[in-house]
Amino acid sequence: MKKSISTIFILLLISASSCKNLNVEPSDAISTNTLVTTLDGLTNALNGSYALMKDHISFNGSIDQNNMYLRQFFQLSDFASDDIVCGQITEDPFFASFSLDHSPAQANTRYYWYVSYKIINGLNTVIDAVEKSGATDAKRQQLLGECYFLRAFCHFNLVRLFGKPYSADPASPGIILRTSVTEESKKARATVAEVYASVLTDAEKAASLMTISRGVQYASKEAAWALLSRVNLYKEDNQKAIDYANLVINSGKFTLETASTYPSLFANAQTAKETIFCVAFTEVDDYGKFGSIASMIYSDGNSGWGEEYASSSLRGLMASHPEDVRWSYIVPLKDGSGTVQKKNGIEVYYISKFSFQAGRPNLSSPIMFRLSEMYLNKAEAEAKMNNAGLALDDVDMIRKNRGLETALYNKVVPSGSTALDAVLNERRMELAFEGHRTYDVFRNKRQLNKTYWGYHLRGLKETDVDLSKSPSGYPNMVVDYTNPRVIYYLPVDEVLSNPLAIQNP
Amino acid sequence: MKKVVLLCCCLLFSIAGFSQTAAVKGIISSGTDKRPIIGAAISVKGTKLSTVTANDGTFSITIPGQTATLIFRSIGFLTKEIQVTANQSVDIVLMEDVSQLNDVVVVGYSSKKQSELTSAVAVVSAEKLKDVTANNVGTMLQGKVAGLQVVNSSGAPGSAPEIRLRGVSSVNANQSPLIVVDGVIGGNYDPNDVESITVLKDAGATSLYGSQANAGVIIVTTKSAKPGNTKFEFKATSGFRTADFGKMNLMNSNELYDYQKEFYRDYIVGATDNSYKIDLIKFYAERPLDLRNQDYDWSKESFKPAAINNFYLSASGATEKNNYYIGASYYNEKGTFLNTGFQRINLRANSTYHFSKKLSVTNNINLSASTGKSYDYNDIYYAFLNLPWDNPYDENGGAVYVDGNSAFKWWSRDKVNPIHTVQNSEHPYKGFDVNYDFALNYNITNWLTFSSTNRVSAAFNKATNFFSPLVAGTYHNTGYIDELNTLNYGGISNNLLKFNFKFGDHSVSGLAGVAFEGGQTEYSGGSGKGLPEGLKVLNVVSNSQLVNGYNDKRYLQSLLSQVNYNYKSRYFLSGSFRVDGSSAFPEENRYAPFPSVSGAWLMSNEDFMKDSRVIDNLKFRLSYGITGTQDIGSSRYLGLYSLTTQYNSLIGAVPYQLASPQLTWESKHQINAGVDIGLFKRLNLTLDVYRNNTKDLLLQVSQPLSVGFETKWENAGNVVNKGIELGLNSTNIKTTDFEWSSDFTINFNSNKLYGLPSDIVKTGAWSISQIYRNGGDLYEFYMPKWLGVNSQTGAPLWEKQNKDNQGNIVSTEATSNYAEATIQESGSALPKYQGGFNNSFKYKNFGLRVSTYFNYGNKVYSNNLRFMMNDGHEPYYNQIRLPDDAKIWSQPGDTEATEPSPQNSANSTETSTRYLRDGSYFTIRNIALNYSLPTAFVNRMHFQAITVGITADNVVTFSKFLGQDPQTTITAGSFATPGVSDFKYPNNRQYLLTVNFNF
Repeated sequence: MKKSISTIFILLLISASSCKNLNVEPSDAISTNTLVTTLDGLTNALNGSYALMKDHISFNGSIDQNNMYLRQFFQLSDFASDDIVCGQITEDPFFASFSLDHSPAQANTRYYWYVSYKIINGLNTVIDAVEKSGATDAKRQQLLGECYFLRAFCHFNLVRLFGKPYSADPASPGIILRTSVTEESKKARATVAEVYASVLTDAEKAASLMTISRGVQYASKEAAWALLSRVNLYKEDNQKAIDYANLVINSGKFTLETASTYPSLFANAQTAKETIFCVAFTEVDDYGKFGSIASMIYSDGNSGWGEEYASSSLRGLMASHPEDVRWSYIVPLKDGSGTVQKKNGIEVYYISKFSFQAGRPNLSSPIMFRLSEMYLNKAEAEAKMNNAGLALDDVDMIRKNRGLETALYNKVVPSGSTALDAVLNERRMELAFEGHRTYDVFRNKRQLNKTYWGYHLRGLKETDVDLSKSPSGYPNMVVDYTNPRVIYYLPVDEVLSNPLAIQNP
Repeated sequence: MKKVVLLCCCLLFSIAGFSQTAAVKGIISSGTDKRPIIGAAISVKGTKLSTVTANDGTFSITIPGQTATLIFRSIGFLTKEIQVTANQSVDIVLMEDVSQLNDVVVVGYSSKKQSELTSAVAVVSAEKLKDVTANNVGTMLQGKVAGLQVVNSSGAPGSAPEIRLRGVSSVNANQSPLIVVDGVIGGNYDPNDVESITVLKDAGATSLYGSQANAGVIIVTTKSAKPGNTKFEFKATSGFRTADFGKMNLMNSNELYDYQKEFYRDYIVGATDNSYKIDLIKFYAERPLDLRNQDYDWSKESFKPAAINNFYLSASGATEKNNYYIGASYYNEKGTFLNTGFQRINLRANSTYHFSKKLSVTNNINLSASTGKSYDYNDIYYAFLNLPWDNPYDENGGAVYVDGNSAFKWWSRDKVNPIHTVQNSEHPYKGFDVNYDFALNYNITNWLTFSSTNRVSAAFNKATNFFSPLVAGTYHNTGYIDELNTLNYGGISNNLLKFNFKFGDHSVSGLAGVAFEGGQTEYSGGSGKGLPEGLKVLNVVSNSQLVNGYNDKRYLQSLLSQVNYNYKSRYFLSGSFRVDGSSAFPEENRYAPFPSVSGAWLMSNEDFMKDSRVIDNLKFRLSYGITGTQDIGSSRYLGLYSLTTQYNSLIGAVPYQLASPQLTWESKHQINAGVDIGLFKRLNLTLDVYRNNTKDLLLQVSQPLSVGFETKWENAGNVVNKGIELGLNSTNIKTTDFEWSSDFTINFNSNKLYGLPSDIVKTGAWSISQIYRNGGDLYEFYMPKWLGVNSQTGAPLWEKQNKDNQGNIVSTEATSNYAEATIQESGSALPKYQGGFNNSFKYKNFGLRVSTYFNYGNKVYSNNLRFMMNDGHEPYYNQIRLPDDAKIWSQPGDTEATEPSPQNSANSTETSTRYLRDGSYFTIRNIALNYSLPTAFVNRMHFQAITVGITADNVVTFSKFLGQDPQTTITAGSFATPGVSDFKYPNNRQYLLTVNFNF
């Protein structure tokens, strides 16, 4: 008895006094210093940068399903345009894009800003590690090129949302450029011109580094050219916009969808002939009603909220050509008698450009660049360089493939209009809901006309809606490019913790 | 029954027999109930001769010589000495030791007499807890301990309240007091098994728990046997509960109908031909009159009275060698919301076996299993917001199916029927928990003891969310299931040498030793869609399969020591020192010391006061000490990439955390001064003042978002909590038949932040912000100030402050432009004071106890109002009945209007002080009436006592708060901001009948 007790006694003492190693490593994370030492680690980090465009990551202590890079980008861009009408007042911050009641505390701009810079931070870490290693093998060069491409892409999207159009004021404050891993956290905004210069440098570098084609789900040399064409167009460096567009068109890797294949383009972005670069969503990235891009603009009755619709303004532009296959992405909700149903007085025309990958109403791999934009970039630049004929040829190139063979311009500028008008109208119809419209209007120093019924009209109630006439008397129906609300406020978090960042007026 | 219990004991131990020859015989009984005392110790003074009483209270003992002095001892009774002569037969009556001062108080690693305490410690006996029936002791403690704030923020079945002691002293670390069960940190127990609860409030007592005691310590002691026969107790509690919606009274059909007329007022902002009249023709065209006949109360259909049952059976007994307690309980609580509930079975077996005078071993086991059904936030959301014009049921009485394709008219904003959803989904969970404690006490010498207390514990929890393919909404036709399994296991070992000796008037006691804690949590789960109808396991999902899982580990090792000294039981001094090493910090900061010193002067023991008729107890206390915090999660100091995502089905690594290689402990420096006064043997008063300064707050310091991280863990800033705490209990009237006694507790607490590098604004869901600023409170709301309605336009008004270059406010004006409104500090979610006032009355066999709780001076953001008082922004959500003094603007010059015009209400529901309400309340927490059946009658039925009681909980709450419930979460979390009231599972009114048998 005594013996066993003393044995227990001694065992306890030993167990208690044995010092435990207090090092604990996380089970699903890896230290930054370890990660960057291997090619696998670097590749994972690059994949992570793509993933951040589709993931919902924790922000402010919560994983809010609304918060996704692409969802916010499309909503911040297109909900402010005249292509989408608001059918329902909501507490969701995207409502500010319709109403222009912007606030620095908007959750969507805050998240978008945050995740953009998280992507950029990750890219900078990889760029720094690869460049310091001195490795020049094709795999690492491709990796580096993709990083430069994504950094340019993210900086460019930021400056579009938070900085004035380059054409309006290149010297105005743009965004904070983050191109190094070692700089101070507090930093002032670069000018719009400086941001464009950095974006162009990065994109050019990206184009020269990338030699491997990993599929349209990843950046490529052609994607870099496409970005260069777009940025130069925005910068009104028109010849370069044309040159880069031609590089893509002549690469032979992409062909325009035809009238028969176009309706299935967006459901099959990863395999479509026209896609230059898309963000790949797989089955597990189907976020359903609460988290997908589609759920706000489309519903099969259960799949989404379906509260924002194709506007009467856009439909009016397309009305003369019901045979245009681009109608296939505008889906009216009809009742048994064929009448288009209304929600809160607004006619329901769903938008299906972000639906039906694998037949799923909330799944798509959003296209960032596609071939038809290259023709339209070219056309716009040509129009601005007073080559109306060439411009309209490029426009016709698109129209031929959209079921409008009988309605081509054939180099003739319609009376009372300009070649640029024709190009911009085509661009509006072709690239509708893809995050172009507001920028195309404002960088061309034009006005956005939202004189139609919708809940962007302040104080509108369902009972006020009278579709037989146009609304009148409401503020903000016409938005000029000089309106300070064509861009968003910097997020309050940045301004508070970084006094060097001056808020937009 | 008895046999079963005995059998159980035999399984654990074999019972050793005992007997002796006789010289002096006798019987020992209790002065209280005249029953024999079993296991009382009898010893012959000046010798080693001793014995104990048998099961009938009898004893016999051999004495050396003809006379001797016998000493009679039994726990809970006053010791007695008498002279005896050989062959004498004696009847000994031991009086129960009722003096509170000699009560032994468990203060963590050791026990002390109440009179020896040098720090702020509150004890709550089971007697005072048992009026409330709940699944946790937190709810039972509400209003009973000064300085303890208890918030029942959810009424969901099985939910536990949030507990804070002396305010909130940390920002990112855990704020809940450390729970210690039977001397070991953590642990599981059933409230019925609780013998007493000790709350350690100041560092003099808590420093011994070092880095885990920042938020105070609550020590739970489970029952053990009292000497005597095997005692049984059976308790059955049954009753029901109803949902308490507070002041959230929603409109019925008629009220909503009349309210919606406001939307038809002829008013377009800026137009010149407004008539400001309601366009009734249009109204009737769009809102047919027969809507008035469609009146469905969604919340009534969704929340129904629910049954609650609790059964408890225990047996306990003690012999010389063995001391055991066995308790079993079953708790079943149905939820008031459809398809929710919670049940739990708990089994506890405590036993201590005395191998010899030197060695005793304690084995305690607690097993519990629980299962329940949770709920989906969205279902509760729609249960409140759907319109009374929609019928939840079809003609057959089943829940109607509605979705975006439904052809019939559905008035509510979203085509969702929560009742149908609930019927076609479920959210079950299960838990299983084992604790095994092993303690060994070995008296090495008569002044030195080795004590080892150890626990191994394991818990397994599983939570499932299931939606059938029949459900409307996003899972229609596909169905959905997810499961999360959590395995938690760990061990704790405390090995201490305790000493205790006296020389002359000096007493010294203390302890020194080592402690180790380790734990691991393993998560795993999966989800998928495409389920066949009727089946609900992961195996049958056909697409969208996802798996997840990760592990987390934590270790803590410690050295601890304590010395207590007293002189003549008048002057007390105590010091403790603990060193903790935690895996949460980088190697160079891993260890930290936590010292404390405390002293007391028991003035009433001085000669000059000993005979005072007025003051029977007077003690002054002072303590200083440091506790710390390390409970922020693992690996917060490392720069990390998270590997939890994928892109195009390949591994993705995402920047996750900024490195913070200097990260170290947050430490709370605490000073406490207190006085305990006892007057006329009737009134006891305890008053404490304290100042707790938490330094080097472990803070997630905001980064410019443009670095790609929101925050970085740093040690920055301090928070000071200052307060006064008063506890009073008095026996107001005491006669033979009638007794009235009162308890009153109150705690004033203020907290201030200082030393922050910059203001931190935390913005939660719905853009509701709180600011952390130097000189400010924790959880201070930060939002535009609501100024009402512009009487000319009906537009909302907010305050705009005009500031000069120095930031001083030079003037203020009202604006209807929300973007222009100045965001300002608007009060804290933490109360200025809170406490309880409890009265108990006894008349003959009747007892009545009324407990109340009050909370004053906090702000609560009633976020529900954003939806339910929404000025027509969301016309198809049901609305709250407006308070009597509210009036919607109707025409220019309407100066009485308090609510904006639905025609001109831009941004009116945006975050502002409009929905920020006074969260003060006073609640009659509990009324308990009980009746003890007459002893004679009970004894005839072979029972010792039978008590019948009825109780009512959450009887009534007085508050100006407009919304669901002023009791709102004070814990920051995902989608939860402290002080923000959102749609929640309502608290319950509860009515119970309890029958208690002792035999």
